[in-house]
Amino acid sequence: MIARPDPVPVGRVVATELKPATPHQFHFWTATESSIGIGAIVKVEGGVGRGDVESGRVVYGVVTDGFAYSDLATPLHDVVGAEGDPASTTPTVRQEIRYWTAAVLRQTPEEPLQPVPLGQVFVAGDADVAQALRMDGYVPSRAIPIGLYASGGLEAPVYLDADFLLGPEAAHLNISGVSGLATKTSAVEFLLGSIFQHFARGQIAALCFNVKGPDLCFLDQAGELSEEDRRRYERLGVAPRPFERVRYYAPLKADGVNLNTLRTHPDLVSTVEPLTWGLQEVVDFAEVLLNRDDIDAKADAFIDFLRDRVLGRTFDDGFGGEHRVQTFADLNRLFRSIFDGLETAGRSDTWRTHHIATMRKVRNRLSNISTRCKGLVTDDGPSSDLPWGDFEDRAVYVIDVANVDPLGQDLVFARVVSQLRERLERRDLGVDAVVVFVDELNKYAPGDGADTYVKKMLLDISERGRYLGLVLFGAEQFRSQVHRRVVGNAGTQVFGRMDMDELATPGYQVLSPATKIKLATLPVGELMVRHPHFTQPIFVRFPKPPVLRGRDGVERFPPAQDLPFEDAVVRQLVRLDARVRPNQVKDLIADRAEEDVRRALAAVRQQRPEDVLSLFRKVLGGRVAAEAPRERRAVPPLNPISDEPY
Amino acid sequence: MQWWDALVAAGAVPAAFVPPGGPGRTDADEGAEPGADLVEGEAVAVRPVALTPAPPVCFLDGIEQWKVVGYDGAVPIVRAYVAAAVRRRGPDRRLHTAYEAARDFAIAPLAAVAPARRRALEAHCPDVVDIALDEGVQPARVLELARRAVDAARQRLERDLAERCVATLAPGEWLVVDGLLSVSAKLARHPRALGVIKSHGAQFFTGADLERALTVPAAHRTSVFRARGGHARNEVYSWYLRLWPWEGNDLLYGLLRVEACAAAETIAGATGTSGWLLGERAPLATPDARWDRLMYPIHDVETYLRSRAPRDLLSHRASRLPKTGT
Repeated sequence: MIARPDPVPVGRVVATELKPATPHQFHFWTATESSIGIGAIVKVEGGVGRGDVESGRVVYGVVTDGFAYSDLATPLHDVVGAEGDPASTTPTVRQEIRYWTAAVLRQTPEEPLQPVPLGQVFVAGDADVAQALRMDGYVPSRAIPIGLYASGGLEAPVYLDADFLLGPEAAHLNISGVSGLATKTSAVEFLLGSIFQHFARGQIAALCFNVKGPDLCFLDQAGELSEEDRRRYERLGVAPRPFERVRYYAPLKADGVNLNTLRTHPDLVSTVEPLTWGLQEVVDFAEVLLNRDDIDAKADAFIDFLRDRVLGRTFDDGFGGEHRVQTFADLNRLFRSIFDGLETAGRSDTWRTHHIATMRKVRNRLSNISTRCKGLVTDDGPSSDLPWGDFEDRAVYVIDVANVDPLGQDLVFARVVSQLRERLERRDLGVDAVVVFVDELNKYAPGDGADTYVKKMLLDISERGRYLGLVLFGAEQFRSQVHRRVVGNAGTQVFGRMDMDELATPGYQVLSPATKIKLATLPVGELMVRHPHFTQPIFVRFPKPPVLRGRDGVERFPPAQDLPFEDAVVRQLVRLDARVRPNQVKDLIADRAEEDVRRALAAVRQQRPEDVLSLFRKVLGGRVAAEAPRERRAVPPLNPISDEPY
Repeated sequence: MQWWDALVAAGAVPAAFVPPGGPGRTDADEGAEPGADLVEGEAVAVRPVALTPAPPVCFLDGIEQWKVVGYDGAVPIVRAYVAAAVRRRGPDRRLHTAYEAARDFAIAPLAAVAPARRRALEAHCPDVVDIALDEGVQPARVLELARRAVDAARQRLERDLAERCVATLAPGEWLVVDGLLSVSAKLARHPRALGVIKSHGAQFFTGADLERALTVPAAHRTSVFRARGGHARNEVYSWYLRLWPWEGNDLLYGLLRVEACAAAETIAGATGTSGWLLGERAPLATPDARWDRLMYPIHDVETYLRSRAPRDLLSHRASRLPKTGT
């Protein structure tokens, strides 16, 4: 074992009547040239107890404020001494002090809790940081590396407790910071990698909503790392490698064949699955898509009726017609049949206690969904969905909704999270826990405004998710404008560089002015972390994530232009079966209605047969040639018409 | 057990009395008539002084604190603390302690103390200064004698430290002492030792010379003279130097008297020496009331010594209402 040199004190605790040491705060001074700074973790030892015996008490603290002053009585005295000349120098430099305020992180022994002794101050080393942050209680068994604490030339890994990050003790993480520094996304990418490599209590997956640009589109591609980053990875015990299992999902564009994502480079597009939903998937979330004015009690009752009695069942419309409603097109046929029946029968304005006006309203609104969310919601044909029940351990599922309109984003979010919750409750998702990363909480869970379905879901995850293994990693620019319960339920809070206006809001009153200044000027790659085990916020540095950043990814893999309809169909089929020859497909779909082609394509995607082309041909059906009208022969009249003109 | 606790245990009455401050350090010497022999020019002249960069310098000062800690009957028993330090100014323009000494001791008229208390004192306090009393002396007179004993102890400590310092001064390095240089032969003879006197109790001139000396303008010095008189046990040269304009204040405002080795080089270098001493007026030694004459480095040495002195020798800021006891 290498003998460590005795640590040298860097400061000494001082207490006056005006600024005493308390059990939660103390003050100390250091030499003018000192490695201590805001956020530094220090250790106090050597306090003198009764009878001039060392008390044995050790106190750990984090520096929250700093002051410097000299023995100058008033600024005027400096002017007088310099005879009004700022350039003049004095033979002797005034005595000055570096005076620091520190908040107590931990005291040992913890009882009785007493004021901090007036002892010597040391810079904290690895073991001290572990003690100070109470990491000794969960490292290494439940440790998730979050970054490196660095101060005074010393550096120590900081770990989060998995039980308090991913449940069940506490859960959820909230990260705030100004936009454009890539801190929030980078931090979450690094942390997910860290979780995947260190979480040891079961199977875990992550589901990320990519809500802007190409941020999360290249998680499976390696990015460039500096030597310093690699050193930090080594220090943290995290292997710097991109995610091994990433599954991409993106809705289609309005043409129904091209993917609505920036990950369309030919080398990568084959790994993106279309995300398309039909009536069955959407109807349960009608509330997301229809506003309060649309859904009154009567309409709600009718939608419930459709959901319970009609969808997916063989249903007699009461007018002699039998329906099996599985798509929006089927539903439309049912409505048409009912309206025709009512009109023909002339019986009344109600059908099975539902007024015709209510039915017409619901029909209009539901029919419009597929128009408003074209590409995501299909009128006809099977859906293409996430692999519910087959989620893989340590896999990241990225749903790219960056180019989807807000209504579609709400639908995707609501349905995906609902499915996750239901399946985690039933324990049939395929993994034990899922981290859901949602950026732009300012938009999805604002502190003010109406209670939207999405906001309610986020609140539900925040408050009950930890019991299920459903963990919310939320990010936003303005924490003060996110719903208090969403933020408040996050056991771990992370802060990147903050805007001064934001820091002036009441939520940051607990931070000292110096800490706020540090937050406002925080460099990229540095974070302030609050965690249930840490009694004070801690600053850490994390390495750049080992994945390709969105902007770099778009440069290296520029998105492909949208393909013409025929080529897009060919590409999708070839992706499913490399034996498919483009010309065969083009011949098959020539002159066919695009809707029919899309339906056949969706069926193939869903079934994934051995012989893709055969199934595609079968679903597409035979070509029905138009029959030329037969020539009508004139039928001679039974009684010849007289020549009489009248 | 502290010696004053032992004294109380032996029957003394505990006390906590810090006598009011004395007249302070002065260059006046009782029983001696000072005088001056001009060694530079025929009459006291006033010469301008230009600021010059300071050479490497050490500064010496001392402090004294004392307190009545007990009474044996009406006889006060005093605890005293004296300390002195030399702080050297480095290239970083900061002062660092080079030499330091302190003495914590008891002062008592042992002959007047009862045997039990005397035994307790001698057993528990290794450093007791005895003061001789005449029969029936009032306690107030005992305190005055104690004050003189403390003063003498402080001067002795300062002198010892200064003599140690000058013996080890680097070439070109100076020592500036707060007070008289002439109290020590070694100091008085050293070519780079200076005494700086702020309190002008001794009158060296009369008539027009006196007026010229005491009205010397700012950034000017007087002619060099040989200080004469009983207090000048060792011959030194001296001159007055004004740091700040006195007009609008009082006659002695910003006025220093400098003592240096009685040598021809002192006369030749008086203006240059005055130049760097003048520079020592900044930074101001505030909040000390004597800041107009107190050099900041001397103030720094004093601050240093006071910060290290025992806190229980200071007078309590709280009232002196009777203690209820616990």
